[in-house]
Amino acid sequence: MNLKEYIASGIIESYVMGLAGDSERAEFEQMCVQYPELVEERRRFEESLEAYASEQAVRPPMEVKAKFLKAIITMENSKSPRSIGLLRFVAAAAVILLVGMVVLYYQVSQQNKDLTNTNKSLGDRLNQAEVALDKVTQEISGPSTTVVNMVGTKIAPKASANVYWDSASSHVYLLVKNMPELPSNEQYQLWALIDNKQKNLGVFDAKDKNIILQMDSTRKAQAFAITIEKKGGSPHPTLDSLQSIGKTQLTQ
Amino acid sequence: MGMPITYTEQELVAALKERNNQAFAFLYDHYAGALYSIIRQIITDNSELAGDVLQEVFINIWRKIESYDQTKGRLFTWMLNIARNASIDTLRSKSYQNSQKNQELPENVYKGASNQTTQQNVDNIGLKKVLEKLKPEHRVLVELAYFKGYTHEEIAGMMTIPLGTVKTRIRNALLQLREYLK
Repeated sequence: MNLKEYIASGIIESYVMGLAGDSERAEFEQMCVQYPELVEERRRFEESLEAYASEQAVRPPMEVKAKFLKAIITMENSKSPRSIGLLRFVAAAAVILLVGMVVLYYQVSQQNKDLTNTNKSLGDRLNQAEVALDKVTQEISGPSTTVVNMVGTKIAPKASANVYWDSASSHVYLLVKNMPELPSNEQYQLWALIDNKQKNLGVFDAKDKNIILQMDSTRKAQAFAITIEKKGGSPHPTLDSLQSIGKTQLTQ
Repeated sequence: MGMPITYTEQELVAALKERNNQAFAFLYDHYAGALYSIIRQIITDNSELAGDVLQEVFINIWRKIESYDQTKGRLFTWMLNIARNASIDTLRSKSYQNSQKNQELPENVYKGASNQTTQQNVDNIGLKKVLEKLKPEHRVLVELAYFKGYTHEEIAGMMTIPLGTVKTRIRNALLQLREYLK
């Protein structure tokens, strides 16, 4: 198409005044890229239109300017910065919450694991204790077991304990019933009396009542005796401090 | 208000795109009258409503300034089209139509075209004043297309004229308009 004809067709005015159709607009914009003279013609028409419109200006109502400026300040404040700020705040809060929940979850699951482990080990220990107790109960109630009732001496009339001695297995168990508590530098010591000699069967505290202690084993025993000795025990009993003595039935 | 600020069109566009409030105040001071004029040429009977439309137009300019492309035309051309479109949208809105129940728009146009005296005072501004210089059959078409926002197809149907004739007449009318503007 001839450019002069194109210009003379009224397309410039139609485009500028917003009366051109979509395809006409697209074509015109394409032509403008190719032909600077067309742009120049467009500019001239735009300027004369603008000049005429300014000449014909009508004073708008007074309050519109103030309303407009107030509106853009409001839009400016409510638009980007504050909403981004809020978004950031919400995002940060969400991250903190998430981290908090992960930490909490970790702690709770760790505690849970610890509790499970503790529970298991307690269960194991309880099983072991039950097995041991069964063994002890069987042994002390078995036919080869002698129960020796230890009675208090003059210096300790209330001291009482039972010794369970299984002559078949040589095991010795001591049931502490009522033994006075000792100073921390002293302990009770159990002895087996065999042919007028004293065999050490070990030391014990008597902090708890009604407990069964397994002492050292002995094949023979005519009697058992409990003395107070220095902490850790003595090689020979201090007979002055004899607390309790009991004879086995076998040797009686 | 301190020293008067002036901008070249380049500077003004750059400041507007940065959402500079001072630039928008300048824009309003320099263009509100011209834009209000085109709004009043479309919304002829309600100056309060026209004021609301003017405010809406400037808010739209503020909102859409990013999309303004200088290679496609001058800033005023872009704003003039925003003002014209907003006015036509208002004219076609339900609430406006309801307030105008008793008047049929095309009939109005015929009256406007044949009997100028009734609304002379309000109508006789801006481009409409130039339109008076056109032949009546051209004037009606520009009136319908530019001030009422009808498409060429709608006008062809309304006036029972072939579409090609509508297009040619409008183009010729605009070319004449251009001569009067010079």
